[in-house]
Amino acid sequence: MSNTGIPRRAFVAASATGIAAIWLGVEWAGMRKAGNHAAASGLRQGELFETFTAAQAADVEAFAAQIIPGDAQSPGAREAHVIHFLDHILTHVAPETRPQFLSLLESFQRQVAAEHPDGKSFADLNADQQIALIKSLEKSKSEFFEAMRVGTINGMFANPEYGGNFNKSGWSLIGFVDRFSWTAPFGYYDRPENIVG
Amino acid sequence: MVKSVGPAATTFKPQDEVDFVIVGAGAAGGVMARELSRSGFTVVVLEQGPYLKAADFRHDEYAIQHAALTNDYRKQPNTFRATEKEEAKPRPAVQYGRMVGGGSTHFTANYWRFHAMDFVEHSNGGPIDGANLADWPLTYAELEPYYTKVDWEIGVSGAAGSNPFESHRSRPYPLPPLPPKPTGVLLEKAAKKLGLTAFPSPMAIISEPYRGRAACVQCGFCEQFGCEMNAKSSSLATMVPEAEATGRCEIRPHCYVRKIEIDKNGLAVGVKYFDRERHEVFQRAKAVVLSANGAETPKLLLMSKSNLFPDGLANSSGYVGKHIMFNGGAFAGALFEHEVNGFKGTVDSRVVHDFYKLDPRLGIRGGGGIDFRFDYYPIGFSLDGLPLDAPKWGAEYKRMIESYYTRTTYALAHTTSLPVETNSISLDASVVDDWGLPAIRLTFADHPNDLKLYRFFLDRSVELLEAAGAMRTWSYPSDELFLPQVHLLGTCRMGTDKRTSVVDAYHRSHDVANLVIVDGSSFVTSGRGQPTMTIQALAFRAAEHVARFAKNGRLSSRK
Repeated sequence: MSNTGIPRRAFVAASATGIAAIWLGVEWAGMRKAGNHAAASGLRQGELFETFTAAQAADVEAFAAQIIPGDAQSPGAREAHVIHFLDHILTHVAPETRPQFLSLLESFQRQVAAEHPDGKSFADLNADQQIALIKSLEKSKSEFFEAMRVGTINGMFANPEYGGNFNKSGWSLIGFVDRFSWTAPFGYYDRPENIVG
Repeated sequence: MVKSVGPAATTFKPQDEVDFVIVGAGAAGGVMARELSRSGFTVVVLEQGPYLKAADFRHDEYAIQHAALTNDYRKQPNTFRATEKEEAKPRPAVQYGRMVGGGSTHFTANYWRFHAMDFVEHSNGGPIDGANLADWPLTYAELEPYYTKVDWEIGVSGAAGSNPFESHRSRPYPLPPLPPKPTGVLLEKAAKKLGLTAFPSPMAIISEPYRGRAACVQCGFCEQFGCEMNAKSSSLATMVPEAEATGRCEIRPHCYVRKIEIDKNGLAVGVKYFDRERHEVFQRAKAVVLSANGAETPKLLLMSKSNLFPDGLANSSGYVGKHIMFNGGAFAGALFEHEVNGFKGTVDSRVVHDFYKLDPRLGIRGGGGIDFRFDYYPIGFSLDGLPLDAPKWGAEYKRMIESYYTRTTYALAHTTSLPVETNSISLDASVVDDWGLPAIRLTFADHPNDLKLYRFFLDRSVELLEAAGAMRTWSYPSDELFLPQVHLLGTCRMGTDKRTSVVDAYHRSHDVANLVIVDGSSFVTSGRGQPTMTIQALAFRAAEHVARFAKNGRLSSRK
């Protein structure tokens, strides 16, 4: 049976596990406060993080930038400030997930260290190495991978007040525009010249 | 814009014996509250969730996407099992609007009526193995005046006569249809090519100013969102403020009812609930109306055990919680060459009812409708809107979300599902919620007929998308149980025989004369989606009869 009145995203939320599930289910009241806090915090890229150390932020940002990579044509997670979204979520919106997320991150960093005795962090690896590592995490259904995927997508496309989607770059990427009213024609097919009588 | 009325809201004390206490402020509860308070009765409406207003709603997918307006599984877990032999495991199973206005606040607002055939599925096709089919104790003709009442009292937009398969209607819609969207134009084109009819979707969203509310401006934030301008004709925007305006109705949010109390004569005397601070309160009432939805209603009845009713209240038939139906369906996607921009405006604008009644030679019972829609916002689409075989991250994933978001439409089929006795809502034996009450346990497996039906509709959906000129189409599995479900139907079915139904044709419980049950649980069969219009028509009809019974003293005894 398929859904008959519920977006599939709720299905994703319902079937998510671990931190990804918690990140997909935060309550109303706390959310508004957290959003306002973000607007007031004034963090900019390269400035202080509230939860992450600089080294943690570098690895998390590098990971997010492989989930949604930026390129010459269009911005990705790095350019959308997803790292600030994640820092904000872990600090203010879902602080109960911070210890678990940091522990997953640390064990991920230990895995990288074990595989790279030269002392390179994930952020230091080249793109091919990063992609290969994320592929292996995806294959093993790693909780860290799921959290990073959900967290990156949330940070790319949530309202900018949460710290990501910088300059609405996520929305611009896919063509979404947040407005309070639209009038016909809404797209190509409802233009009068395209409606076949 | 509707504002909450009056210098001071009416309030009652728990020890005041009000005429009616209504459990649930949703589609049905709102109608009951408005109609009964307008008839001169005092009413307290107890709602589990908060009392939010249009000004509280925002365009904020991150905040709204999960449990902001719906039940939160971390506080109220569900469990699921496919059959009674299995042990149920925690899993989100049912979703409902947990707020004043209920599901009508955050729904898509599709508001077509059931057809005459929906009320006589048993007589029309005879019995079917493994299903407990019955006719409704009322016909479409009996319900028609109340459908019309819903159209006009809440404000429904549509085009009378445009659906060639619709049953008789006594009055046109009060409001013209909302504008066609590109998805609707595509469905029209496909339907024409296949010899079918795509007609303007009837919507509980006002296309023109209506009774003090401004017309929809097509912002596009309908499904799962509360309407920020009250253009959606939810109970919150229509029935609730009108009930409050009588001065005889109190809406009391954050009240989680745990038991309906019964006196030694077996009549309801009120309800016990947890207030916001989780203190237990007893609200006295002359009669109880249960409109808590098709999952919470049977749950409350099953929790209301007593010496007189050891198997749960109003359950002498054993039917409480049984026969849950969700409306089945199918879901397919398609990519088009040019911009569809489904995110602009209402979720859908055209629907096809040509498969409402299937050719008997197919050997499949039931039927349904198909619409083209787009109900994804940026986060949800990027999490889950692409074809199932698309990459989930990386450069190719990014390229796909970039090029698909504005050019994708989906076909949604909404169909019958058969009433199967073992498909049920019951109380979980071990899992409890944050208040210590038993978790809702869903036992559910699709009837084999329904799996054939969903497959049929998936094929028709893909055909329509192809006929519309899609560059590529993709399907979602039609045989996979999709949870949580939102149409919660049939768990306290109505009927004339107290051995095989929970409420009578007027929604009075067979066992407790002053207990009225009206919501999706009353359905005898599932219809073909979407159910809220019918829930409200039933509520208007129930309210009329219940008011008459109360005035004649027939809610205190069966005589």
